[in-house]
Amino acid sequence: MTTTFDLIVVGGGINGASVALFCARAGMRVALIERDQICRGASGVNAGTLTLQMTRVALIPYALEAHAMWANAPEWLGHDVGVVVCDGLSLAFTEGEEELLTYRAARRREAGAPIEIITGTEAQGIEPGLGASVRVAGWCPIDGFANAYLTGLAYRRALVEAGVALLERTIARGVDETEPFVVNTDRGPIRGRRLVIAGGVWIEPMLAWLGVTLPIKVLINQLSVTERVAPVMRTQVGIASGLLSLKQYPHGTVVIGGGWQGWGNRETGRSGIVPDSIIDNVRLACHAIPALAEARLARSWTGFEAETADVLPAVGPVPGIPEAYVCGSIHSGYTSAPYIAKLLAQCILGQEPERLLFPIDRLILQPASAATVS
Amino acid sequence: MPDRVAVRMAGYQRGATVQLIVDGRTIAAHDGEMLAAALMAAGLWRLRTSPRNGTGRGAFCLMGVCQECAIFVDGRLQQACSVEVRDGMHLELRGAP
Amino acid sequence: MVVETDLVVVGAGPAGTSAALAAANAGLGVILIDEAREAGGQVYRAPARTLKASTKTRDRDAVVGVRLRAALDRSSVRFERGLRVWSIGERFRTDTAGPEGVRTFKAPRLIAAGGAFERTVPFPGWTLPGVMGLAAATILLKSEAMLPGRRVVIAGCGPLLAAVAAKVSGGGGDVAAVIDMASRRQWASVMLQLATRFNLLREGAGWVLGLARRRVPIHFASTIRRIDEADGLLSVEIGPVDGKGRARPGRSSLINDVDAVAVGHGLVPGVEITRLAGAAHTYDRLRGGWVPVLDAMGRTTIEGLYAAGDGCGIRGALSAATAGTLAGLAAAGDAGALDPDTLASKSEPQLKEAARLDRFSAAVSDLLALRPGQVADIAPDTVVCRCEDVRRADIDAAIADGAADVNQLKHFTRCGMGPCQGRMCGDVVGELVALHAGSREAAGAWTPRPPLRPVPLADLIGSYSYNDMPIPKPVPL
Repeated sequence: MTTTFDLIVVGGGINGASVALFCARAGMRVALIERDQICRGASGVNAGTLTLQMTRVALIPYALEAHAMWANAPEWLGHDVGVVVCDGLSLAFTEGEEELLTYRAARRREAGAPIEIITGTEAQGIEPGLGASVRVAGWCPIDGFANAYLTGLAYRRALVEAGVALLERTIARGVDETEPFVVNTDRGPIRGRRLVIAGGVWIEPMLAWLGVTLPIKVLINQLSVTERVAPVMRTQVGIASGLLSLKQYPHGTVVIGGGWQGWGNRETGRSGIVPDSIIDNVRLACHAIPALAEARLARSWTGFEAETADVLPAVGPVPGIPEAYVCGSIHSGYTSAPYIAKLLAQCILGQEPERLLFPIDRLILQPASAATVS
Repeated sequence: MPDRVAVRMAGYQRGATVQLIVDGRTIAAHDGEMLAAALMAAGLWRLRTSPRNGTGRGAFCLMGVCQECAIFVDGRLQQACSVEVRDGMHLELRGAP
Repeated sequence: MVVETDLVVVGAGPAGTSAALAAANAGLGVILIDEAREAGGQVYRAPARTLKASTKTRDRDAVVGVRLRAALDRSSVRFERGLRVWSIGERFRTDTAGPEGVRTFKAPRLIAAGGAFERTVPFPGWTLPGVMGLAAATILLKSEAMLPGRRVVIAGCGPLLAAVAAKVSGGGGDVAAVIDMASRRQWASVMLQLATRFNLLREGAGWVLGLARRRVPIHFASTIRRIDEADGLLSVEIGPVDGKGRARPGRSSLINDVDAVAVGHGLVPGVEITRLAGAAHTYDRLRGGWVPVLDAMGRTTIEGLYAAGDGCGIRGALSAATAGTLAGLAAAGDAGALDPDTLASKSEPQLKEAARLDRFSAAVSDLLALRPGQVADIAPDTVVCRCEDVRRADIDAAIADGAADVNQLKHFTRCGMGPCQGRMCGDVVGELVALHAGSREAAGAWTPRPPLRPVPLADLIGSYSYNDMPIPKPVPL
């Protein structure tokens, strides 16, 4: 390909796809390189939770903006991602959990999340499906969920309409040159004046192409879904520790998540479930919503989630390499991704971002310490 | 109009005649036979309603694969093709008229 | 509690039972797991517990089944019945669930012998209650001594057509018609290839002659065009097809007042275990679809994982037993329970038998293989995915929207996301995507996921106390 693009994005998850979309709509010629298909990794297999009660305090202002974007997805994205806006409940069953919940809800409320602590009885008024043993709950009227597997369809249509050159099933193998950027792929070199690295857990090996060492911890999140069942719940339910996410989709399936860990390997891309961990996750779910026990488990799966050393996003310019950027590792990332990607797009387009980015200088290991790590 | 039913072949000894309660209605069956077959023999072909079109569905594969015969047996969702008839079973064909 | 042993065998049909027996005879500790209460699989399925024939009318398969179960009873194999395998993990942790709760088995070797399931290529009306698989009709007839209805249409392809029709007719039912996709010429060529299998031919000829005597109409090179419900009964429209399964212009005709229709278009290997374990697979149209890559002894590309039977490609019950024995011997040999010479001498006759059976089974497999024209002919409004009511038109629209393989299609449409986990529609959906993707390899196959069958959450969770649950430390604030 002899075209020189204005922007090359490597990684077609929700981060990369959003940056590509906003830049293309602003007039840039954009190439999006994706090893598989758009939003088929973590962006397509996550729990779709749009909650503030699992969001880190520092990210609450971003998540609030992003929540509003999700709620209006057809307006700005142009396509439906099956978003349901509903009440969210974070449950405490024990005294310890009540303490944790109360403290955390207060911190999140200070950051702008409208979370209130309510009694177990009040919680059952909001969610009749709850079991009897709830002591207190954090209640947030700004919550909800998307249908994560529809992300790919919605974004793909939007990207095509915006004129983004979609290079799906194309493997980026390295960056050969930086001025302009030449990305080496299995389908030949792709040239561009700017580069965004948005490869999820793979941003670590991708940044290494640029000589930058940014360690990423790989989480293997497990999820389960029941077959369609009669309504058993109407809210998004979690617990104080953050290790449960539970919601019933309008078509009747219930998705059970919460970051219980499976096994996996970033290098081979293989991952799988740990049965005992699935069972505990399901027990937790049935403890919260007892009627769920009647349902049958239809499918369990895993997805790779990236985590930085301080569990905050890595979003901003790559130091020392003009016009190279990274967009990744947004904790509870699905919720905040469209907004944070929009901020990065503003930065790439030469505008002042509405809010601060999350510069990666703090996460980069210097060559000396990098050597000790490897 | 003749009843559309599956027919037990002559020349076999079967388990004792027992009664099943299907959505409040009593039907006869034989102890130990496949529940899905007993329902067919009682003319109960329609076991569930499809989720989008709302059309009736009945047991299709009888070998545990298709899930079309999953019904509530004594309160538990089970595949009627892998359950043996026992006297007094309570069955619910939820969603099916 | 984890039960450890030398070998786990999943599936107690002819392949799995033979494998378990061969390995146990060689000295391995073997656990054989099946979701049924009795061994035998589908072909040698045990009759209902309380069913007894008044006279001796047992067919050959019934006799083999009785022998198989007796051999299992006499052996040292530990048969774990009525358990649903829901997860297969590393170094072969096998998790099962049942009304009594969850159980875990573990062995350095595992033989996957899950068998096959039936393919039915969709047509309008195939989802009507009273329309069932050909294999389903066989199970009703053989295990329950029940006719699917008083007046039955039997349709599809393969030797099961005549077998089911003969059973229905012999049991006092009225076979309104047999609708066979194969032409007389295709049958003649199969007969030639089976010329030395005298028993098979005699049995087949017996069925056909019996049908002729009872004046059962047999329509060759024909298929069901649609089925409608009329006055509480079924009305079946049939018409001619070509060798690729495409409708030929020609007069269609109606068969009215039908109670039940049994229709099947061949078998699809159940490869969920070998795929979940990450073994290499290849697409083999003749053998029914995606099959694991195996050596002659049944070793997959994953060390310690073996596979045998129709779950590795459709070859029939006789081949399954032979392949099972070979896989059982291989597992015993690889575990050091048989020295190489003994392994070789025990395997040699089985390998010869396998090769001999392979030639014959190829002829029959050809009758059972998916006919591409039949899939191409599926009408836009016809439901393809029964669980989620996804129509041909929805699938084509998703492909036009960019769905390049079956998994992307699944995300776009929910096709294959229902409780059958894509088994009923998977082969046909793969073919539909391949029409655009260019090949079945490009269209791909569903990503395998646990559980292998839907499991009630109640069975998984058992009884537990919230306070004893190992809840990890809270995520950071």
